[in-house]
Amino acid sequence: MVHILTFCTASQPEIPRHPLELLAAARALSAQLGEGTVHTLCVGPASGAYGEELIHRGADRVLTVECPSVEAEIALAVVESAVRHLAPQVVLLPHDDLSGAYVGPCLAYRLETGIATDCGGFAVQGEDIRWLRPVYGGKAMAYMRIRGPVQLATMRSRAFDPLPADPTRRGEIQSFPADWESVRPQIRVVERLEEKEEGELPLDRAEIIVSGGRGIGSAEGFAVLRELARVLGAAIGGSRPAVDLGWVPHSHLVGQTGKIVAPNLYIAVGISGAAQHIAGAGSSKTIVAINKDSDAPIFKLAHIGVVEEWEKVIPALIEACREWRS
Amino acid sequence: MHIIVCIKQIIDPEVPFHLFRIDPVAKRQIQGTHPLVISTYDEVAVEVALQLKEKVGGRVTALTLGKKEALQALHQTLAMGADDAILLSDLNFEEMDSFGKARVLAAAVRKIGEFDLILCGRQAGDVELGLVGPFLAGELGIPCVPLVANFEVANGTIRMRRPVETGYEILEAPFPLLATITNDTSNVPRYASVKGLRAAMRAPIPCWSSADLGLSADALGPKPLRIEIDELFIPHREMRCELIEGESGAEKARNLAARLKALGLIG
Ligand SMILES: Cc1cc2nc3c(=O)[nH]c(=O)nc-3n(C[C@H](O)[C@H](O)[C@H](O)COP(=O)(O)OP(=O)(O)OC[C@H]3O[C@@H](n4cnc5c(N)ncnc54)[C@H](O)[C@@H]3O)c2cc1C
Ligand SMILES: Nc1ncnc2c1ncn2[C@@H]1O[C@H](COP(=O)(O)O)[C@@H](O)[C@H]1O
Repeated sequence: MVHILTFCTASQPEIPRHPLELLAAARALSAQLGEGTVHTLCVGPASGAYGEELIHRGADRVLTVECPSVEAEIALAVVESAVRHLAPQVVLLPHDDLSGAYVGPCLAYRLETGIATDCGGFAVQGEDIRWLRPVYGGKAMAYMRIRGPVQLATMRSRAFDPLPADPTRRGEIQSFPADWESVRPQIRVVERLEEKEEGELPLDRAEIIVSGGRGIGSAEGFAVLRELARVLGAAIGGSRPAVDLGWVPHSHLVGQTGKIVAPNLYIAVGISGAAQHIAGAGSSKTIVAINKDSDAPIFKLAHIGVVEEWEKVIPALIEACREWRS
Repeated sequence: MHIIVCIKQIIDPEVPFHLFRIDPVAKRQIQGTHPLVISTYDEVAVEVALQLKEKVGGRVTALTLGKKEALQALHQTLAMGADDAILLSDLNFEEMDSFGKARVLAAAVRKIGEFDLILCGRQAGDVELGLVGPFLAGELGIPCVPLVANFEVANGTIRMRRPVETGYEILEAPFPLLATITNDTSNVPRYASVKGLRAAMRAPIPCWSSADLGLSADALGPKPLRIEIDELFIPHREMRCELIEGESGAEKARNLAARLKALGLIG
């Protein structure tokens, strides 16, 4: 019997997708390793509201911690205390900014246990888990073996589909007595600067994403892409150079170190198709590439390609889409 | 302000798919004719360190754990404007996981002596575990501030700027601290001038071994390693791209629009 702990932050009223993906991963692991309990530690002001849903999606036991905000050091302390208390054999965390870059690594250090970060899957061999993750920017894959008192992994988003909600599933919801109040965070957020992006759809929920790269050449060029996005009702994304050059905000970076997206339609314009970019867009249902270089690697990954300078294609594409609208 | 930047030398991560080769037995990339470079986010970290030094004064030391050829990466950081560079090199250092690497880097930091700030990349550009930074902070018992893009100085306080979903967070934490560095518009690495490089090539760079750091082989962590690649492979990808033809860009655009509409993807 293998007990698994998954982690879920609860700061917004609606439950996000990533913790539900973790539950799907946990159930898949549990089915292969011998059914044990899947515990979900749910931390944050909305944790009470998530309980039922987490059980319908695969948790056996939800442990809630209703702290007002989920700061990094508090999250780490709460997860550490849950791991020490419940002694699970496997801990699954989301590979996001909080857990992938902080809670996971710091927890591994404190528990002196190996960790596999940014995992997309696993293979079970007997009692051993081999964790599958991309390496070299996604050009290769590695099965990692980790050793120590617990198997600790951070899972990338979109690696698993959430299980369908089963309202007949039963489980326990309990409050977990973590002493978060005595944590004195050393890292303090003293200011939050909102970067207003008028009219720009968030990447996560968009059905269509129009994404631009270095090949767009200028901020003015990006304005044309934004026009296409508006006509299509799409969100705007960008590659790392497009972000570094200030053409798109950081929150719209697509790729390994940005967002992992999976829209119905991903239109990559002036993007070469580096593995690190594809790592974030590769699961899109249909990928369209517009690039002037027929040898660009993006054409090896795209479903539909147009070899042409974008300046000659995008305005006409906007025109064509507008005609249908009217 | 003394800033230590931990940099790793890697094979150019921008090598395209079709030239990328691995050694499945040694479980690593084959260098071939590809150049060695400073890992992407570590170069960004050097830039962040130099910008902070320009704001508050002080010194930047680049530290790398690697083989002799990593001297080249250190020369490059000196040419960018770092003041000192140190190579940590020893046969004992070759079979280590992130725990061992953090332990060696921590021993080097202690030997260097006083410091205010350590910068690491958010993740190395090769295996990309993103562990050495937080582990090093753990070894030194200092706060680890993740995913910082820059430092701001106002009224004598140093604050950190971190890109988040909704914009930026401005953070404070007590020094000394370690920050892992991510990229944004403010920290695109500067080029090392040819003149700077020439001067840097002449600068002596100390090389410390495990003996210099007082580390026995046992101190580098248990074997088997706690974090290890068991199998490395290149996933199979099939080509399936349907090219949209046309006499002109405008015609291709119209054909593309029609195709996407036929597939029910737009419209
Ligand atoms: C550790 C690490 C993490 C990274 N994380 C990310 C990440 O999360 N996201 C990301 O995007 N990158 C990431 N990168 C960077 C990545 O490796 C590539 O450098 C980057 O994706 C390239 O961006 P690009 O395609 O816009 O630019 P380029 O590679 O320069 O490509 C520009 C393309 O535009 C085409 N072009 C030029 N002019 C025109 C025109 N007029 N019309 C049409 N096409 C034109 C060119 O043919 C070319 O193919 C990471 C790198 C590392 C090492
Ligand atoms: N061999 C090394 N020498 C110096 N710094 C390193 C080394 N390996 C990793 N680092 C630092 O730790 C960061 C994270 O590396 P990793 O945990 O390998 O992804 C890198 O961006 C570097 O700043």
